[in-house]
Amino acid sequence: MLDTRARARFTRNRSGVAGTVIVAALVVFALVGPLIASHGPLESDFLHGVASDDMPVGPSALFPFGADRIFRDVFARLAVAGRLSLLIAVSATLIASTIGAVVGIVAGYYEGKRFARIIDVDGILMRCVDVMLAFPFLLLVMAIGAALERTSAVTIFVILGVTGWLSIARVLRAKTMQVRSLEYVVASRALGQPAAWVMLKHVLPNVAGPLVVSATVLVAQMIVADSVLSYLGVGISPPTPTWGRMLFEGQDYLVTSPWLVVAPGLAILLAVWGFNMLGEGLRDALDPHEG
Amino acid sequence: MSWLLRRLGWSLFVVWAVVSIAFAVNTFIPGDPARMVAGVQARPADVARIRTQLGLGDPPLVQYLHFWKRLVHLGPHVIDPAADPAHASCAVVLPLGGTAVHLDFGKSFQKRQPVVDLVATRLPRTFALALAGMLVQLLLGLGTGVFAAARRGSWLDRFLVGSSLLGISAPTFLIALVLQFVFARGLGWLPLDGFGTTLGEHARCLVLPALTLGVYGAAYYTRLVRDERVVVRHGLRNALLPIVTAVGLDFGALMGGAVVTETVFRWPGLGELSVKALLDRDGPVILACVVVTSMAIVAANVVVDALYARLDPRVRSA
Amino acid sequence: MRSILTRADAVAPALVVAAVALLAAPLGCDKGLPSPITGQHEGDPTPRQGGTLRLASFADLRGGLDPAVDLDGLSLGAIHLMFAGLVDYDEHARIVPDLAEHWDVDDGGRTYRFFLRTGVTMHDGSELAADDVKRSVERALHPSTPDSNATYFTNLAGYEAYAAGKAGHLEGVTVEGRYVIAFHLTKPDATFPYLVALHTLRPTCKSAGDRYSDTWLPCGAGPFKLLDGGWQRGTRLRLVRHEGYFRPGLPHLDAVEWTFNMKALAQRVRFENGELDIARELTQADTSRFAADPRWAELGVVEFDARIYGESMNTRMAPFDNVEIRRAVAAAIDRDHYVLLQPTRMSALYQALPRTIADVDPSFPAQRYDYAAALEHMRKAGYPYDPTTDTGGWPQPIDYLMYDQGIPALSSQLLQQDLAKIGLRLRLKMVSWAAFLALQERPDGAAMSQGNWMMDYPDPSTIFDKLFTTDAIAPDGSSNTAFYSNPRFDDLIAQAHLEMDPSVRRTLYREANAILCDEAPWAFTFGYHLFDVRQPYVHGFVAHPVWPLDVSGVWVDRGDAGWKDALGGGLR
Repeated sequence: MLDTRARARFTRNRSGVAGTVIVAALVVFALVGPLIASHGPLESDFLHGVASDDMPVGPSALFPFGADRIFRDVFARLAVAGRLSLLIAVSATLIASTIGAVVGIVAGYYEGKRFARIIDVDGILMRCVDVMLAFPFLLLVMAIGAALERTSAVTIFVILGVTGWLSIARVLRAKTMQVRSLEYVVASRALGQPAAWVMLKHVLPNVAGPLVVSATVLVAQMIVADSVLSYLGVGISPPTPTWGRMLFEGQDYLVTSPWLVVAPGLAILLAVWGFNMLGEGLRDALDPHEG
Repeated sequence: MSWLLRRLGWSLFVVWAVVSIAFAVNTFIPGDPARMVAGVQARPADVARIRTQLGLGDPPLVQYLHFWKRLVHLGPHVIDPAADPAHASCAVVLPLGGTAVHLDFGKSFQKRQPVVDLVATRLPRTFALALAGMLVQLLLGLGTGVFAAARRGSWLDRFLVGSSLLGISAPTFLIALVLQFVFARGLGWLPLDGFGTTLGEHARCLVLPALTLGVYGAAYYTRLVRDERVVVRHGLRNALLPIVTAVGLDFGALMGGAVVTETVFRWPGLGELSVKALLDRDGPVILACVVVTSMAIVAANVVVDALYARLDPRVRSA
Repeated sequence: MRSILTRADAVAPALVVAAVALLAAPLGCDKGLPSPITGQHEGDPTPRQGGTLRLASFADLRGGLDPAVDLDGLSLGAIHLMFAGLVDYDEHARIVPDLAEHWDVDDGGRTYRFFLRTGVTMHDGSELAADDVKRSVERALHPSTPDSNATYFTNLAGYEAYAAGKAGHLEGVTVEGRYVIAFHLTKPDATFPYLVALHTLRPTCKSAGDRYSDTWLPCGAGPFKLLDGGWQRGTRLRLVRHEGYFRPGLPHLDAVEWTFNMKALAQRVRFENGELDIARELTQADTSRFAADPRWAELGVVEFDARIYGESMNTRMAPFDNVEIRRAVAAAIDRDHYVLLQPTRMSALYQALPRTIADVDPSFPAQRYDYAAALEHMRKAGYPYDPTTDTGGWPQPIDYLMYDQGIPALSSQLLQQDLAKIGLRLRLKMVSWAAFLALQERPDGAAMSQGNWMMDYPDPSTIFDKLFTTDAIAPDGSSNTAFYSNPRFDDLIAQAHLEMDPSVRRTLYREANAILCDEAPWAFTFGYHLFDVRQPYVHGFVAHPVWPLDVSGVWVDRGDAGWKDALGGGLR
């Protein structure tokens, strides 16, 4: 996908490079962090973690990012939470991209066409999008969260994936409508090739670029969505750390123990920003004539 | 015109579908609303009594039909709650001579008030917040975009664009916390949260939540405006299109979803109401919020589509 | 659309974050606590009349202000000010006369006869009579009233028929004179006076009628009253002095005002700015600072523990059907660690009763933190655990049910660590409050869950009856979440109800408590109390063992002029 010219454009784009660096650093932190931390992420240390006024200790040798409210190591928790956030965000994006791609390509391909003069595939699909958009997403997810007795990482990314495909579907629909007027696509259809084959062989490779770009940006949005969910309490049960949950638990202590908010807050910002930049870089490389 | 009618018909269908899904979800998630009303320390016999009083003894399908039947119906055009308990929680929306059209969401389990009253009090607040947030978004976004476009390539340009990226990077509650910390806790210029009692206080309390929503969405407009290529190539009218679309849909979304912002700032609007109702399993309130917000979003969509049709002649025929 | 980030925009966001951090840091640095605001007549102990007391709360007032329905902590405080009862609890949790001048106990404890004061004016100006009491009681206990306390009074003669709707009146409540009212019970009950003092039976004005209604403006005989429009839902509640209150000279205050939905941080800021008179719901960090500051330390008021917390173990589900494992759990929890979560508000608890009514001395066989003993109990249970090799213990993970709120959300994570050290691996299941109630109260719902209970009235029966007796077990909605059943325990509780001699009752309850500590259906962990801070010009504020924020005797040494109310407006 990234041929030499695209690669050259990518490396010229400093934000794309910056994005890659940040994302890579995050991944390394998430993978390696727990291994080099002084404590486990679930371990309260009442010996070293309690300051003289009975509050958690701040950033120090043993606790690089300080201790949390039950005296656990924030550094270790941040890294483990990073693993979870990245896993959830990427998995959710994969699901959302798949659904969005299928819906978008099919809708765009059949746009304007009616089977048996009645069935407007594009219309139906876009109406489903309308219904989903009108639904109070947050309430739905909270309700689902309330319904399930235990929410695991799988539940979270399935929910996010199944509700997050709308933007990708729209982008791919628009792109597909452009692509289907390309010469060889028209020719292919005229030759009577089955629609599915045309979509796979001709449309998909052409929309792959925008798909990858949208998906990368979607990862960023998934990270935000996941942190919002865990902030609201619909997330993985404690004691497993997630960035949103760490923010929620730390917010009352913003003044006395600011590291409890700064650490997860910065982590979220960096992750989202990194993926956004990476997405921009990819957009330049794969889709330079956008607009 | 027929286009408009079709569009409206479709919108009603969407609202119906959304509300039905909400009803199903609300019925089948665990938790007993009667228990939530009776309190933790109540005995089973008391809970059972309250459950019948709340009308939860009927099977779900009956409750579903009852909900729609009483949602919109005809009734006397002057309501006296004490004398006429059947219409005690109704609101008159359209007088028609001797009778009138009533809107009835039932009574809140928790607050024991007619839900229409709750919605009527809170809807304007969420509306105000959405409007203010929209304003901030546009001002901030378009403003920085224009600035950046005017001074392309300068440090200011890069700074503004880069920081707008931060806006969409940060989750709402993070922005909210930071703003609270800086302006309310630190500088003390603005109230930390809440709503106030006088108009002046309302305005002051509105600032931080509006800013939060504004920062979050402004980035999109910055990017739109800054890309002058669109303006130059296609003309101002077409440049308006994406802005109009965005504004319309955004407003709908803001109406529907400023839940997190309202919760963090204790802004007593629909979002905050729906979250509490969900946690308390207060069915009538949840459904009312879903009806209102989905109608707002759908209405925004229709308006945007209509404007789109006006602005872009190619679409009008669709 | 062409990308707008072709420039080196990597630097800009970093600059923004740095700028915000630099800006915020000095702002965030604590400026230290301001000085307390002294009164106008410092040193003069004579109570002054007048002034509005400004309070705030994080929560909102829930359903209503009717004494007949279930109340949360916030509305209870307000109800107590608006409605006086026949009797009340004093600051030592003893029953004292209030609207009744005195009372007799007859017929071996089956009849309680109350003699009302004469000339008591209610908020609407009418005089309180025994008829009003009977009407109010019947109103509260009527089947159409959404009252969750009605089943406390099943002991009243004729209750069954009345609750079923078969009788139009409650036969067990008789008016024997204009100011004499008698309650007849089917069997003697020593706890009855405590029940009479509850909010449920407090007399209401004639405007309340004899049936509950959502739209009634609350009207009673208490020191403060609610005027029409005094309650702005979701915002504030204002109660004003009842000029005809039967105790002369009281209340001192002109009015009491609550502002709702105010977060802890906001309460502190407003308190420091002089916009709140008593700060009740501060964050733990703030409370510690006030308690540690010499200027503020003596202005702190420690409220009573009315609530017990513990880990409830389902005695019908493995592994907690094994008493040795329950004993191991009770010995494995380090309560001192729990208490570190909020040191100014939590106190370690080792037996079943809140400190207010706990009648225990150091020799009492309460639960204890003893790691060696815990391991020994595991060995006796047949599941020995070796900490050095991490082998043994209970083979499967145990589901622990918790909901997401406050301290329990954190203490459960400590519990998990403590129990892992004796070979019990907990899996925390965090669910919504509604789901939590639904699951905890079914016999097959949860093996272990967070338990807590608030004392409804200051007598051990309020804890023992509902949490640990066999009668309290129900297939759905069981308040006995441990599903604990012990005939000897049930016996003791039944005897205590019939026993009129207080010292004999105490002995019975002591033995009952000791049984609970030994058999450990719950591992008792901590009691919770609030730490309030008042400004020096607030006098007469004493913690009450039962009523939250009892300000009936408070007076303030400041006028209203020039002071703001808690929302920034001028004090009326």
